[in-house]
Formats: sequence, C-alpha cells, structure tokens
Amino acid sequence: MLSTLQPPRSLSLLPLRRFRNSKTIVSASSSTTSVISPPQSQILTTRRSLLSGETTAAEIAKSYLSRIRLTEPQLKCFLHVSENVLKDAQEIDQRIAKGEELGPLAGVLIGVKDNICTQGMPSTAASRILEHYRPPFDATAVKKIKELGGIVVGKTNMDEFGMGSTTEASAFQVTANPWDLSRVPGGSSGGSAAAVAARQCMVSLGSDTGGSVRQPASFCGVVGLKPTYGRVSRFGLMAYASSLDVIGCFGSTVADAGMLLHAISGYDRFDSTSSKQDVPEFQSQFLSVDHFESKPLNGVKVGIIRETLEDGVDSGVRSATQEAASHLEALGCVLTEVSLPSFSLGLPAYYVIASSESSSNLSRYDGVRYGNQVMAEELNKLYECSRGEGFGGEVKMRILMGTYALSAGYYDAYYKRAQQVRTLIRKDFKAALEQNDILISPAAPSAAYKIGEKKDDPLAMYAGDIMTVNVNLAGLPAMVLPCGLVEGGPSGLPVGLQMIGAAFDEEKLLKVGHIFEQTLKGSSFVPPLLANVP
Amino acid sequence: MATRALLAVVSASPNRCFISPSRITILQSLTSSSSVHFHRHSRKIHRIARSYSSDSDSSALQPPDVSRLAQTARISLTPAEIEECETKIRRVIDWFGQLQQVDVNSVEPAIRAEMDGRNLREDAPETFENRDSIRASIPSFEEAYLKVPKILNKE
Repeated sequence: MLSTLQPPRSLSLLPLRRFRNSKTIVSASSSTTSVISPPQSQILTTRRSLLSGETTAAEIAKSYLSRIRLTEPQLKCFLHVSENVLKDAQEIDQRIAKGEELGPLAGVLIGVKDNICTQGMPSTAASRILEHYRPPFDATAVKKIKELGGIVVGKTNMDEFGMGSTTEASAFQVTANPWDLSRVPGGSSGGSAAAVAARQCMVSLGSDTGGSVRQPASFCGVVGLKPTYGRVSRFGLMAYASSLDVIGCFGSTVADAGMLLHAISGYDRFDSTSSKQDVPEFQSQFLSVDHFESKPLNGVKVGIIRETLEDGVDSGVRSATQEAASHLEALGCVLTEVSLPSFSLGLPAYYVIASSESSSNLSRYDGVRYGNQVMAEELNKLYECSRGEGFGGEVKMRILMGTYALSAGYYDAYYKRAQQVRTLIRKDFKAALEQNDILISPAAPSAAYKIGEKKDDPLAMYAGDIMTVNVNLAGLPAMVLPCGLVEGGPSGLPVGLQMIGAAFDEEKLLKVGHIFEQTLKGSSFVPPLLANVP
Repeated sequence: MATRALLAVVSASPNRCFISPSRITILQSLTSSSSVHFHRHSRKIHRIARSYSSDSDSSALQPPDVSRLAQTARISLTPAEIEECETKIRRVIDWFGQLQQVDVNSVEPAIRAEMDGRNLREDAPETFENRDSIRASIPSFEEAYLKVPKILNKE
C-alpha cells in the first residue's frame, strides 16, 4: 500500500510556487515569508489522478509534450523524442477503462539517457560513431520500466560516452541549465537532469561512473540517486568503465527517485556483476510530513567529510552544506566530523581506472558491426578512420590515456596502483560508515558554471569531480538533493547536498533524504524558466 | 582492437563462431554490459601486459608517444590533433604521477566494489529473435557475411 504525501493537485498546471527573489544565500532553516508546501511525488500524484478519473494518461502526456515543444529550443535536453508517447499513454487509458491492473509506473513519463539502449529508438551515447544506431533490444532497466507501465518520452543528451561533466562533449548539442541558460546543466547526464528540472518529463534515468548523476542533480536542483554497484543491471548500458558504471535515477522529489530505483533494481542474469541482494520496499520510507515525529531522525549518526569543506570549495557551497548539516541536527541527527585520509587520491585513481577501462570498452566501436563506417582499402585503416572520425576529442584523449596506462611496462605503475588506492579508499569509507549511518558532503565544489568556462582545460574540469568519484571507487550508494541556493543566474543557482550510505543501504538514504526534503523551509526548487510555461 | 576483442571471446568460448550473423551467440559480444566478455578480455590483456613488464620501476616510464598510442588504439589523428592531444595528455599523465607517491606496500588491488560471489550463467546458446534489427545495423552486409576490406601485412 503506497504511503500518501500531500493531497493530489491538478497536473495540467504545475503548482508553481512563488519564487523568492534573493541574491543572497537562502538559509535552509529560514522560516520567514509564506509557507511553501513540501514538494510532492509526481509518480504518486499521477497514479491518484488516473485512478480517480480526474485526468487521463493521454492528457498528461499532451501537456508534457507541449512543454517540451516550448522549452526544447532553449534547453536542448533531448536528442530524440519518441513518436509513440501519445500511443503509449492511450494504451494505459484503455487498460484503466477495462479495469485492468496498473503497474506502479503507469502513465509516468520518463526520459532515458542516450547511452541506455532502447529498442528501435536511436541510442547514440551522443557520439557520431553511433549516429543512427537503433538497438535491437531494450536495456533491462528500460524493459522493467515498460513492464510497469512507464512511458519513455525520449533520449536525453549527454557527454559523449559519459566522458565529461557538462554535455559540452556531446557530438550533437549542448544542453542549457534551466536555472540560467548561459550555464551548464552538469554532466554527463546533463540532459536527464535538466529535463526533470524543466518538467519535460517526471523522472529520468542517467548513468553515474564518477558523479554523472549526482553532479548534474546538484547543478539543476533535482534529486539524483546513485545506487550501490550491482543494485541495477548494467545490461543495455553502453559501458564506459565497467567497474564503476551504474544506472541512476533523477526525480523532482526523493520519493520519485526512490520509486524509480525500486522499479529498475534487482538481479539480472544478463549482468554478471548484478547483485542477488534483496531489494527492500523503498516506498515505506516515504511517509507524509504530517506523520513525522518532532525529531524524526532522532539518533541518526551523520558524518560530515572534513576533506570536502576545505580550500577549493566555493564559500556559498560551504555555507549551504553547513546549513544543511544544521537542518539535519534540528531533525535529531548526531553530527560529527569524519576524515577520509585517502580522499584526495580518488581523483587521479579514478581517471586512471576510468580511462583504462574505457580504452578497452570502446574498442568495440570499429565500424564493422554497427555504427558509422568510413570505408578504406585496408582493414586497419577502416578501424582507424571510422574511429578517428566517429569519436570526439575528449573520447579520443581518454582512450589514448587508457591505452598508455595499460601498455606493457606501465600497468603496474598506473592501473594496478590505482586499484590499490581503490582498496585504501574503500577501507576509509567502511571505517567511517561503521561509526555513522550516513556521510554527507557537497555534491560539487561550485554551483553551475558558464558554458565554455572549463572546456579547454581538462584538469580544471576533472577537479570538479572531487566530491563524487570516491563513491564510485567504493561502489557505495549516494544521493544528491537540493539544499540551498547560491548567487548567480537570474534567480540564484541550486546547490545539492550529497548523502552517502553503506553498500545496499539505499533505504536509509531515502529515509533521511525524504525527511530532510519535506521539512526544508525557505526555497522551492523550480527554475524561473517555468514561470511562463504552462 | 576489435579483432583482439573478438579473439578473446573466441579463445574463451571455443563453441562460439567468429563473426557470422547466423550464430546468435555472438550477440553477447555486442551487448554493452556483458561483463563476462569484459573480464575475459581484460584478463587476457593483463596477462599480455604482465608478461612484458619488467620491474615496476616507475622512474623509467617514458612520456606518452601520442602517434604510437593512436596506432595501438586504432584511431587516426590529424597532425593538429596529435599536437593538441600531446600537450593535454602529458599534463594529465604528469598529474597521474602523484599516485607513485602513495605507499601501497602489501595493499591488495581492488578490481571493483565487493561482490557476492560469482554470478556467471550457463554457457548455453540462446536464440535471439530480432536478427533483422541486428542485420539492419551492419554497415556493409552481403548475405551472410559482414564485408570488410583486406588486411595488408605491414613491414
């Protein structure tokens, strides 16, 4: 039985709350001005509206498609919008009319990152080498969504093959941040994050290898959930770094991200790294705020990672994080500072491992069995030209770095060493999570920066991943949720708090995150772009 | 690179047929998260790398030769691209150098996050129904072959 949140509202008009115009940091604990109700789950609202007959799946789909038409020229979140959205919605309506059982995602509109295979729909990983590729199968995560009644709205923009933090490395277009069109949405799942922020879809799938779900969630003011490695099948996710990749979820609320995660989780015999661990019923964590006790997180031990609040982090981000920590304390949490001594090593270790594994994984793109082929007189030349023309600059660079790190004589110095550093990082996290229920940190050292600002300096771009990569190295679950705003853009820029949990403990993350979100006073995280969009 | 990858699949599973659309088991090498394929491939690469590597004297590491790397990775680069790449790659590889300072004595390398046992499925072929879609993706296809140019022996 699904728990209830706020009473349902009409979906044809978004409940656009008054946005507080503020150039200063919005305090997480501020209690002035009109009461802004906590955000409500779009998945549950959709379900209630459909079951009560208040609206139809087709009407909901039409309103979202109309919003996509209005906002896409500015945002460019989608590489492909499905031609079957209305048809899929009408099928749901027919099933309702016949009184048939509805899956928990019935009528829910879902964006899918373009490196996740969707049968018959272009899946390019934002690369020219796969420009017209239509997979013959659905990824397991997509198959599960469809089985539960979800509607795939389209394929979202990303950095090519997941290599990047801004979508600027997409071969086709750069996505704009709905909070400020001159800024990046983050990456590599920038399109998925921006589409949810702009209400072009209700929830979306992304992938997270070094922070590619969490960092754009922070930049776009939405919830981004990275599951434990092995929680969700990677079958159908175009591999970037196989020991790090996971499929993750975006939603405008913790409950939505959690429910989507539940839908796609579980053992899959097509992915030998997929876990047989039970998937708990996450929904039980999403109680209505009216049912919260006075200190709903009483006794929950939270460790704030010292190394993430040192130099190099914007003062606005630091303040927002500290205020989020105070909010958690007010809810009953016990906060302590923890140190992860191997923290700073994560970044070079990550890039060694990721480039090495990607150099292997991307060797399959050779122009022979699928994708764009550049014909040549000789086979090796065919490979070289197809790949040379098909891959973008960043991808080529990472493949070459990986080729170097794995070459004869260098394997021990780089790849093996990075694996050893991974062991150190895992040990540090394990120790910290034995003393604490969750760990917290900022999701990124800054809010969204301008398009073009970091494009030419790879190290500057990589530095932005410092908060997120260690979690992938350790394989742990983590969630980012909006906790405040900092200066910038027409109405401020969102900043996300990252919560990290023990392996397979998504339930605890969702519980803490949901309560945090529902009790957070002060700002609503709806981008100003939507003020003029029905 | 692709031939090596396919050879790795072939050598690991002698029952599998080298590129032929009529043997659907080859699909497993086309899927992106077939970790069995990846791990067999990577283990083979690691064995090759280790057999050549001498003592891990990190101070003897040569800086990256981008042209040679591009050849190994089967990627063609224009001279301008080589120049641009060279500067950037050198900076990143130098930055990787800080890993050399870490004391990793007697630290076990972690291949990935901890996992609950081996989850390999039975190596039994299954028919994949949607062959037409696979064929439609092949750039140069002449029943029943994928057409590629000849290989020329160099040097």
